[in-house]
Amino acid sequence: MKTTNAAATLASVVFLRIQEFARRPVQEQARLRAQLEAVVAVTVAELAPAARIVLDAADGTAIAVLADPQGALRLAERALPATAAGLPLCIGINHGTVQMASGGENGMIGDGIAVAASVAEFASPSRVLISRSFRDALADVTPGTEAGFFPAGTFTDGGLRTHELFFPDAQAARRRQRRLIALGAAVVIGLVVAGAAARVATGGQQKFLDGVFGKLGISAKQRENYTRGLREKLKF
Amino acid sequence: MAKKKLSQLGRYKITGELGRGAMGVVYKGQDPALDRTVALKTIILSDDVAGRSDYQARFSQEAKAAGRLNHPQIITVYDFGQEGDLAYMAMEFLKGTELRARMKDGAVGVPEAVHIAEQVAEGLGYAHEHGVVHRDIKPSNIMLMPHDQVKIMDFGIARMRASDHKTSTGLLLGTPKYMSPEQVSGSPVDHRSDIFSLGVVLYEMLTHTKLFSGEDTPQIFHNVVNFQPTAPSRVNPEVPPMLDFVVERALKKDPAVRYQDAFELAADLRSVLAELVHREAAVSKKKGREIDTTKTMKLDPEALRSALQAPAAGAIGSDTRLPVSLRFDCKEAIGRLTEPTRRDRRLLTRPPRPVGLLRGIARDPGKRLLFFAIVVAALAGGAIAFA
Repeated sequence: MKTTNAAATLASVVFLRIQEFARRPVQEQARLRAQLEAVVAVTVAELAPAARIVLDAADGTAIAVLADPQGALRLAERALPATAAGLPLCIGINHGTVQMASGGENGMIGDGIAVAASVAEFASPSRVLISRSFRDALADVTPGTEAGFFPAGTFTDGGLRTHELFFPDAQAARRRQRRLIALGAAVVIGLVVAGAAARVATGGQQKFLDGVFGKLGISAKQRENYTRGLREKLKF
Repeated sequence: MAKKKLSQLGRYKITGELGRGAMGVVYKGQDPALDRTVALKTIILSDDVAGRSDYQARFSQEAKAAGRLNHPQIITVYDFGQEGDLAYMAMEFLKGTELRARMKDGAVGVPEAVHIAEQVAEGLGYAHEHGVVHRDIKPSNIMLMPHDQVKIMDFGIARMRASDHKTSTGLLLGTPKYMSPEQVSGSPVDHRSDIFSLGVVLYEMLTHTKLFSGEDTPQIFHNVVNFQPTAPSRVNPEVPPMLDFVVERALKKDPAVRYQDAFELAADLRSVLAELVHREAAVSKKKGREIDTTKTMKLDPEALRSALQAPAAGAIGSDTRLPVSLRFDCKEAIGRLTEPTRRDRRLLTRPPRPVGLLRGIARDPGKRLLFFAIVVAALAGGAIAFA
């Protein structure tokens, strides 16, 4: 069924803002704008045409990515190296409501864009900042990826709205991996020790050790030698 | 306005009338001492004694400041004085055409408009450097002289006029359509106000339209403060993209993000002029070969136009619209939003769900590994305990 006015939908909005664009000389503005166009052309090429809407802002570009938060993040990360080429990009990503105005003829409106713009305002060049809602959207699609973001703090914009922001941190992902490995090892050891303890409690220590050494094919003499040697070492 | 016909003002012999304005009459005069023709601008003094002395003091101060300005783009003030209830200023007599008349007669070409604005900016820069703010830059105060020279008129006088026309609410009346937002709101005005006014003049020259129009003064004031102008290139396709940037910056509502210096504006206009000249030369040179010279432009003008109409990140509110870029084909994605399929409607309107334990184990590799480790360890522990 066709609708004349689109319902408010959710999209991940990547806002690429050129730092202090208004204050730069006009020639530089034209150069930076041309560079940004090139960066956007390269980065959006990765997304399917049905999944992105490119919007113009006076000091940058906003890209609304539909149903693909991972794609939005990849786009931002691919645009970031442009800073090294002299294009000071401040990137903000948000996941929020967007709506085509008058069936798309009058551009796009929505809180999703407004918050992304605010987030980009807080970002410094060569840094991507994401909002909590984008982090949640990313976690919804690929659980676990949210751990790769470190809290950047809470920021209040000009409209006195507070935004909890995060930035991608490769170390955070590694730290989480290490934590999970340590936790796994501890749980494994704990469970095995608990099993052994239960066995000792029910059958006695000697019976338990006989069973274990028997399964390992160690004779009583070998066991005695081994335990004596162990005691000697412990005494020392 | 003068009630009787004058024949003499100070040492100047009046030979004719050049025009009439809100403040008084402008006469053509002859200076017998130097045998030169002058323009005599008269201002009717207030009948109120206290107001009159105050006015005289300010007039003297402003005339002295204007008299100190010696620049090819600024009309020269020779002398000032008072005769009865008339204050007058003797100025250089200019044989030219007012920009207002030129704009009325026909369209001003883009290179010509840029050249005029560049010269006015140069003159303003000089005046600002000497601490004089014009406050009433408008087409009727810009005189086009022979050999493409431009002169700014009414320095100092403009300030007198503005101060003299305070309404009961304290609001200044000048020429509303060319006033800056800070002038309209009664905030302190500095040289950046002239830059805004010149931006309005340039916009009107380029687009051949009135930028801030309205049925009455309050409506014009409202538009000056709130209306975001369309990029000039959208109205006149001959305007190059870089000129859009220049005009946009000159017309910034916030003086802090406007051009901070008229010389800076003049420099940018010179760059634009150089680009225009280069483009015209390229067009005429390659016309015979039918080469599309627009391809030499670095930017897509259409994309730039829409970008210039859009607000900056800092100005985007929840109800602000961003135009769709014309450089990228977004029809397919827009179609998904305007005419969504059932799948899209479900997919695009679904808010993110919190990740539960089971989904976390199923989709998060780290949690999955931990889960398997726990299961294996539990089995091992169980086997040890009960086997």
